[in-house]
Amino acid sequence: MSSDQGRRPGDPHSIAIWGAPGSGKTTFLAALNIALILKNGPWRIIGADPGSLDFLKEMTDKLTHQRRFPEATSTLSDYRWLLSRRPEEQVKGLLGRRKGSPAWRIGVNVLDAPGRSFGAERTGHGTDREALIDELALSRGIVYLFDPIRELTDGDAFSHLHGVLADLAGRMLAKDEFGDDMLPHYLAVCVTKFDEIKVLETAEKLGLLGYPEDVQESPRVDDEDAEELFRELCAASPSGNARLVLPTLNQFFHPERIKFFVTSSIGFYVDPEKGRFDPDDVQNLTPEASADGPQGPGSGNRIRIRGPVGPINVMEPMIWLGQRMAGEQQGKEAGG
Amino acid sequence: MTESGEDLLRRALTEAIAELAGSRRLVVVEVAAEGVTAFDLHRDEAGTSRGRERPMTRWAGQTAEGGGDGATPSPFEEGSEGATPAEGGRDGATAFPAEEAAVRATWLPVDARVVLVRSAPDGGPVGRAMEALRAARPDALALNGGGVPVAVLLREIVAAEPLRRPYDLVVLRRHPVTGRLRLACQPLFAMETRRGALSEVTVQCEPSDERGTVFAVVAWQDRRPVLVSVHAVKLPPGRYEVTAMLERPGRVRFSGLPSLTREDRSWTELVSSVPARLGPPSGPAHLICAVETTGPEVQLGERLRRVSQLVTELAGELSGLLQVSLVTYGAHSYDPRIPERPVDVVDWEVSPDDAQESLKILEESRAGRATGHGAAEPGYPYAAQVEDMLAEVAGRLGPPGGRRRTVLLTVGARPPHPPRRHASEILPCPRRVDWERQVRDLQRHPGLVFGAICDQPPERAHPAWARLGENASAHLDTLDPQGFCADLGVTAPGVQRVPFPLMAMP
Ligand SMILES: Nc1nc2c(ncn2[C@@H]2O[C@H](COP(=O)(O)OP(=O)(O)O)[C@@H](O)[C@H]2O)c(=O)[nH]1
Ligand SMILES: [Mg+2]
Repeated sequence: MSSDQGRRPGDPHSIAIWGAPGSGKTTFLAALNIALILKNGPWRIIGADPGSLDFLKEMTDKLTHQRRFPEATSTLSDYRWLLSRRPEEQVKGLLGRRKGSPAWRIGVNVLDAPGRSFGAERTGHGTDREALIDELALSRGIVYLFDPIRELTDGDAFSHLHGVLADLAGRMLAKDEFGDDMLPHYLAVCVTKFDEIKVLETAEKLGLLGYPEDVQESPRVDDEDAEELFRELCAASPSGNARLVLPTLNQFFHPERIKFFVTSSIGFYVDPEKGRFDPDDVQNLTPEASADGPQGPGSGNRIRIRGPVGPINVMEPMIWLGQRMAGEQQGKEAGG
Repeated sequence: MTESGEDLLRRALTEAIAELAGSRRLVVVEVAAEGVTAFDLHRDEAGTSRGRERPMTRWAGQTAEGGGDGATPSPFEEGSEGATPAEGGRDGATAFPAEEAAVRATWLPVDARVVLVRSAPDGGPVGRAMEALRAARPDALALNGGGVPVAVLLREIVAAEPLRRPYDLVVLRRHPVTGRLRLACQPLFAMETRRGALSEVTVQCEPSDERGTVFAVVAWQDRRPVLVSVHAVKLPPGRYEVTAMLERPGRVRFSGLPSLTREDRSWTELVSSVPARLGPPSGPAHLICAVETTGPEVQLGERLRRVSQLVTELAGELSGLLQVSLVTYGAHSYDPRIPERPVDVVDWEVSPDDAQESLKILEESRAGRATGHGAAEPGYPYAAQVEDMLAEVAGRLGPPGGRRRTVLLTVGARPPHPPRRHASEILPCPRRVDWERQVRDLQRHPGLVFGAICDQPPERAHPAWARLGENASAHLDTLDPQGFCADLGVTAPGVQRVPFPLMAMP
């Protein structure tokens, strides 16, 4: 399969899910599928071709039934999905008809940032980067996954981000197509792995935790506070460079086109029997036994997902992007 | 004007002596027919009045041999520990004219309180000396002596004084389980006790060195013990009912023991010769062995063998008095497909032989389970149910109170699960059991000691292991069973010499 499959000339621009290897993109995609199914709204994620559809089904099954994370794959960019919105049923009111929104779909690509990767068979640095910039140039919505856990150990988010954005800007702005020297994308900055103790406790320390509806549900960080948590997590990065991430984003994207989200693909642990969140027992990951004797966290045991997957803020950034891009397209259509 | 009457003199001197405190001094000057004698008195650290009789200054023309008081012994030299012997001696006394003698006698610290006693008819050198002394110290109290010489009177007054500080006997107390020895005090006489009072103590004397068991009496000065007397006697080991008699302040006599001799080893020397612990008296003991069943098969086999060694060692030392319990614990399961295996109480309070049998069965069944060199125990890999094991043991032991010596021997490697989410990222115990609370609860058992055999070197082991090995700890590969049991305080490390009597157990 090639990335061109399923895309026809004249297709609307796509959404790119972009982040460092291991930042959780594949899981995010599968969680997105789960979240949309659970929501039972007009939005769906579908494969653009049979291979991509199978891959999505397989990933979703892994997460829900096998309770495992997807393997590190090198072929993500070969797949292509579509975020689709069914036409809303026409609602008849007293005053007559209200027009429902029309059917709409947009391509979704998953892009690894260049750099260290899990799969040995992964293609080399240069090709990855070129392909990535191509894909980003074709998209108008980006879900940028920022992995605070990786940032704490590797601290390399900035170096990945800056180079790519600079090249992308060089490519796209050279044509002076957009007038204002800013990239045309909508950008959803997603702090991932909110379910990890370190992330949760950082949010807790900042007083950013909110419990929607009632305390039985998992905590969340409001979108308005997400940027503050993002900034704090960047400040904790050992490299010190993470502090440059936010200014870099602001340099390249219109501030009103950037929105922050605090997300978790798997969500916090919820005891299936009690059916409610317990702040004393939040981790939804558990290491598996290994034969190597006593070891501690971080010693590389295989990880399983402990309880049911309950995605937090996975659907929201996609729908935000979808709505913005749909609106823009409709505006264009109406105007032209 | 002088006052008169022996009772009056006695009362005045008693009062003056009672007022002695701190660095205050009292000087009593006796002006007699033969010459002048001065007595210096002060109170020592232990609250005992101490004194010194200065050589008599004779009137001109008289000689030492002519003195009528030559036969009167000094009240402060005879049997009076800590008293400075009189400077010079009676034999060195020289004769001087009365006035000069008086002046020499008034050579006194200015801050000393002075009492002048005239014990001979006024006139001649006596009168002149009295006058000169009163002129020199107008603040001095002047009294007339009676028939009793001042030296005798002072001795009687000092001996009849009540105790200014409580007196205790220095003893050793032994921890019922660890055998650890601690210096302690057994009250003998309360404050205000007067001579003749009796006090009884029962002590246990252990084998001592050739100089004997030391009976030391201390007085308490603001929370600080001050030695009153130290005596020693060589005794056969055993229980002794000792009666202490307050002979006078500063002197306690013991009966019920062969006669004691004064001890001249220094206090520091005595104290440093006390062994850290003393082998246990015979009595029942309970060894609880908690074995972690996770990890590779070889390791588990090694743990079980170590436990077996210790059971053998203790059973040999405590013949017939040892009961053994055997508890195994593994990993919690956070995977619904892997059933949770709770803590297993294999044996509770069984004979060492039965426990050995269970250990053998455990080892065999485990070996059967093993499929290779490193069969992994299913379940959570980074911790074990230490906290549940502690809770199970605490529950079975019941509320603290029993005197029975109990050893909790934990053998394993992994940390406990925290009671709630923790920065270590170790998942919390499903029952939210708090290992620290459990350890604290167990520590309340007076007879309980903790021993641990950990597969991990101490610097890598979780802090819980330091608590579990509070009294004795060893690495799995380098355990010395004898030393380990001695550290636990349940077996004796050879013959020991104990310098002080032990408080006898009721
Ligand atoms: N705690 C937590 N870990 C996650 C989550 N999503 C992914 N991970 C971890 O991140 C690893 C990489 O995820 P993956 O989706 O393969 O990342 P990708 O390389 O960006 O596609 C997974 O194996 C998980 O260990 C999440 O929502 N929460
Ligand atoms: Mg992946």
